[in-house]
Amino acid sequence: MRKGYRGRLVGIVYLAPALVFVLAFTAYPLGQMAWMSLHSWSLLTPPRWVGLANYDRAFGDTQFWVSFVFTLKYTAFITPILIIGGYLIALLVARNDPVRKVTRTVVFIPVVIGLGVSSLLWYWLFSTNFGLINAALMDLGLVDKPVLWLGADADTSNWAIIASVVWKVIGFGMILFVGAIQAVPNDVSEAALVDGASYRQRVTKVIIPLTLRTVLLVTLVSVIGSLLAFDQFYIMTAGQPQNETATSVFYVYLNSFPYLKLGYGAALSMILAAGILIFTVVQLLLTRRSHS
Amino acid sequence: MWTVALATILLAAACGEEPAPPSAGPGAAATTSCASSGGLTMWERSGGNKQMVDMLVEAWNTKNPDCKITLTYIPHAEMVGKIAQGIASGEVPDLMGMDLIYAPQFEKAQQLVDITDRIKDWSELKTASKGHMTVGTYEGKLYGVPLYADVSALFYNKDLFTRAGLDPNKPPTSLAELRQYADKITALGSDIKGYYLPGNCAGCNIFTVGPLMWASGATIEAAKAGDEPLVGDGVKQVLQFTRDMVKAKNVHDGDRTENGETFHLQFGSGKVGMMGTGNFNITLARQQNPNMKFGISLLPGMTSGSNASFIGGDLVVIPKGSKRVNDAVNVMKFLLSDDVQVEVYAKALNLTTRSDMVDNKYFKAEPLVQDVAKALAVGRTPYTLTFFEQINSPQGPWLKMLQRAYYSEDNLDTVISDAKKEMKAIAAQG
Repeated sequence: MRKGYRGRLVGIVYLAPALVFVLAFTAYPLGQMAWMSLHSWSLLTPPRWVGLANYDRAFGDTQFWVSFVFTLKYTAFITPILIIGGYLIALLVARNDPVRKVTRTVVFIPVVIGLGVSSLLWYWLFSTNFGLINAALMDLGLVDKPVLWLGADADTSNWAIIASVVWKVIGFGMILFVGAIQAVPNDVSEAALVDGASYRQRVTKVIIPLTLRTVLLVTLVSVIGSLLAFDQFYIMTAGQPQNETATSVFYVYLNSFPYLKLGYGAALSMILAAGILIFTVVQLLLTRRSHS
Repeated sequence: MWTVALATILLAAACGEEPAPPSAGPGAAATTSCASSGGLTMWERSGGNKQMVDMLVEAWNTKNPDCKITLTYIPHAEMVGKIAQGIASGEVPDLMGMDLIYAPQFEKAQQLVDITDRIKDWSELKTASKGHMTVGTYEGKLYGVPLYADVSALFYNKDLFTRAGLDPNKPPTSLAELRQYADKITALGSDIKGYYLPGNCAGCNIFTVGPLMWASGATIEAAKAGDEPLVGDGVKQVLQFTRDMVKAKNVHDGDRTENGETFHLQFGSGKVGMMGTGNFNITLARQQNPNMKFGISLLPGMTSGSNASFIGGDLVVIPKGSKRVNDAVNVMKFLLSDDVQVEVYAKALNLTTRSDMVDNKYFKAEPLVQDVAKALAVGRTPYTLTFFEQINSPQGPWLKMLQRAYYSEDNLDTVISDAKKEMKAIAAQG
């Protein structure tokens, strides 16, 4: 009995650092945010209790839902590109020879650049009058006049931003996929080869099923990242045109800081967090099912 | 034993406390030099008149080597949030430049130091820019003095006027004339356009399109809850004028993506016949295109001879929590002094912030500055506690309304009534 109690105590002591970390940096801020969402909270004046008024307003706020739908649309477009694209590149570079290693490095390099820096880089590449992309397209005779990539048309802006983000993050999925593909047991691959399976059959019947958990993990990370998209839209379009490219997080930022409505921003964040939580639970259940 | 220990701890804590902020009390005589020693910290927004502020700080630092100002630029769009965060966390600079239109919001929230008793008797204030002093005052209390002034006016390219067969000494005096002239200049072809409209920049538009509405007898923002915004036929008339300008291809296609980053470089490119811009563009256009001849007149309205201007710029204010209030007040005194007005502001061909300093040797040698200074007489500065949300935000109703007018076929009455609704809702919350 005494030993069991001691064992539990030791367990808690081992857990303590992680527990303190989670409490300080996740639970406390989350609780604080929930508390803020029940107040009219400007940084300039003392907070005032408003109950659920911020939530009530959020559900009737058209722009928040326009932003939410746009964010879902962006996520729906970019996720397949990142997953399928990343997987295809991984299949091409999974073997360890010098050329493939160099290719992996080149594709991975943009991952280590900050998203803000890469967005600024692409902002100027897409610039109407000063950008390299328009200059190149015009020099090649592909267009007669500069294309208005950012801020004029929502779809064009969205695709331009998707192109920049794919360049920036596709290497992340690729490197995880390469790791998973290399972990497929050799004997399984060789058995398939001996049985006369074609490359396509080996990929679809052996490699993909054995790397499915990684695919689901990368999908989960990509989807959460896309639902929380902010930097690229803030820098490249600032929500233009007509707020059609304002993502949910951008709208939260706008209310919280420039408009100084921290309470309302916190309520919007809580709704967004609940949405992402639901998605994550569904995703994790799917992962568990595939595992079993 | 415990009592002694506790007393020791309390004593140590008391000794370790920061010294109280220096205070000479209300009405302490201000000078144009530092009252104490040690560097001062100052924040200023980027995207304002950086060249001017750098020169002013340099002039102070040269005069006060023991009390140099360290200047930090904060991105323009983040300034309001950054200041509010700084004030909330107690990490504020000793003084700061603030876009003048945001001042009422911070004054109302009691986040700036009331300097009425320290500066109210200064003779310099009698001639300080009216627009600045209006927004620097809240309920009879003074919170700031002008840092620099920007006024909007119509810049026109005399070379293009001559090439288009127009008289380079007769700028347009009404919007109808402006349209006629723009058509002729655009007809020159080869990527030259008669006019410029910044399609994605709320601030640039209130600075240059707002005055077209004011000159046409309209009002724009809702000053307080319950006020009616966008009143007068001038709103619709100006929106129709801008829509027609875009349709007639009198502006470059690329103008549509202008978010303010390259606004100041457009006139100096030599490819724009006429453009609403500010006094800062005189020096910039000269640097960019030294051979280009250009003139400046007032932004016109619908009827001939009507005109208006936006008086913008920055105030210098002291955030609550500043530990160097006396020195910050001395910086204000320095900025308003005769010497700085002439030898820093005027010498750099920027507007002086005191009207009695306009008559100086530098302006006499530069007629363009005299032309742009005329805008001070017809200019105005909006006074509202929700300027950012109503007007300046890239997501606000003002820019949304203009973009629908410029680039869509939506009925203008609907466009205006949608914007009205949003502006009123914002003013009601403010």
